[in-house]
Amino acid sequence: MNIVISGIGITKFGELWDMSPRTLARQAGEAALHDAGLVSKDIDAIIVANMLSGMLGSQEHLGALFGEELGFLGKPAMKVEGACASGGLAVHTAINSLLGGQYKRIMVLGIEKMTDQKPERVASALIGAGTNEERLAGITFPGVYAVLARAHMEKFGTTQEQMAAVAVKNHFHASLNPLAQFHTLLSVEKVMRSACVADPLKLLDCSPISDGAAAVILSINKEPRMKDSVSVVASQVATDTLGVARRKNLTGLNATEIAAKKAYEDAGVSVADIRVAEVHDCFTIAEIFAMEDLGFFKKGKAAEAIMQGQTTLGVGKGVVVNTSGGLKGCGHPVGATGVKQIVEIAVQLRGSAGKRQVSGARIGLTHNVGGSGATCVVHILKRT
Amino acid sequence: MYSPVKLWRNQKHTQILLGKKGVIVSWTIIRVPPEGFSNQAPYPVVVVRLENKEMITAQMVDWEESQCRIGQYVRVILRRISEPSSEGVIPYGLKVKPL
Repeated sequence: MNIVISGIGITKFGELWDMSPRTLARQAGEAALHDAGLVSKDIDAIIVANMLSGMLGSQEHLGALFGEELGFLGKPAMKVEGACASGGLAVHTAINSLLGGQYKRIMVLGIEKMTDQKPERVASALIGAGTNEERLAGITFPGVYAVLARAHMEKFGTTQEQMAAVAVKNHFHASLNPLAQFHTLLSVEKVMRSACVADPLKLLDCSPISDGAAAVILSINKEPRMKDSVSVVASQVATDTLGVARRKNLTGLNATEIAAKKAYEDAGVSVADIRVAEVHDCFTIAEIFAMEDLGFFKKGKAAEAIMQGQTTLGVGKGVVVNTSGGLKGCGHPVGATGVKQIVEIAVQLRGSAGKRQVSGARIGLTHNVGGSGATCVVHILKRT
Repeated sequence: MYSPVKLWRNQKHTQILLGKKGVIVSWTIIRVPPEGFSNQAPYPVVVVRLENKEMITAQMVDWEESQCRIGQYVRVILRRISEPSSEGVIPYGLKVKPL
């Protein structure tokens, strides 16, 4: 498989009270068209990734809405939803639509507007990604990941300081990304001192509530004007039980393992070939899970390695993880996240990441999770 | 907030699990609750393996800090779930209590 990334565009992530969803969509979409050197008539379809517009904004029918906003009148437009994996799923859907042969170029727009509502409302909407049983139990998303963290701590002796080190690393990376939500550096002590949200997770273990949009233009053919380009060479999705209680194992995400294994096979690469990765760190423990489930470290070994800086820019010799700042540092507008991950890896593989550039990166990976691991999307990107 | 019809449908499953004993396999304490739960926070939510092997997620009530631990035995009971909305029914459902 070889799907060309013809254009990328992204907005600032953060509390963007003065920007409407239409404005965000236009910024990201027009940036992607400009980057590709294309105009709206060159695009055959638009696929929107979003989770919460219905619950938080009383707005559905996003395909038509953003199709209109971006000047795609008359063209096919639709939304894909898979909780926080909506972005990755939309990219996967776009790729399969291209391979199906009807379209030559598709824009994928990931977008979320979360900060218009009070945090309790957002927390209640987000747990819409879980089960009815979880909602009746009064659990929140930090709570679900706290349950997973507790199980990992019990089995592997993972510590709260090791989890904190994930936030420290990702805020450091975010400080090098002008579009990231946070530019403040953290320390392990500062994370440990932050207010407890759901034991053992503290406020600074959690990704923030964010607004933002990201867009990619995917093409079946190489654009004539491009000398070298970045392509998607594997796109895999796997699923698991919707809630955590019915999982056989609470110390990893099975969907990640399945999707990753298939993606490595498809791309013909091994985990050791991956030089840069954007993984789904909705909570610090989630990055530890991701590093183990994707095969970068053995089970129970990732937390210590992250704390030693093995995945930090300029420190480790292997894969550098979440150069954008991840969900923790760059922000997590849920529908946008999976698309932002593709944008970030494309920037890295083009060699245009500036201060946060991973030198010599030619193969990269994105890992996008929906809910507590019920959906996982893995993409592998290559500079060709 | 809760559809009375949905609560009524759930009752079948509620009856099957009521009174069952189980053991905590993981837990957390929710300190920033979702809507409708603010008057109960902080409260533990636990994942329990029941005697019939079924796994459930439930709020734990009548708890002490020392009972928030993996391996703690609990029993399934019926309690009011959360604050009723002004027009809705009072939602009852499953919670667990330490043994």
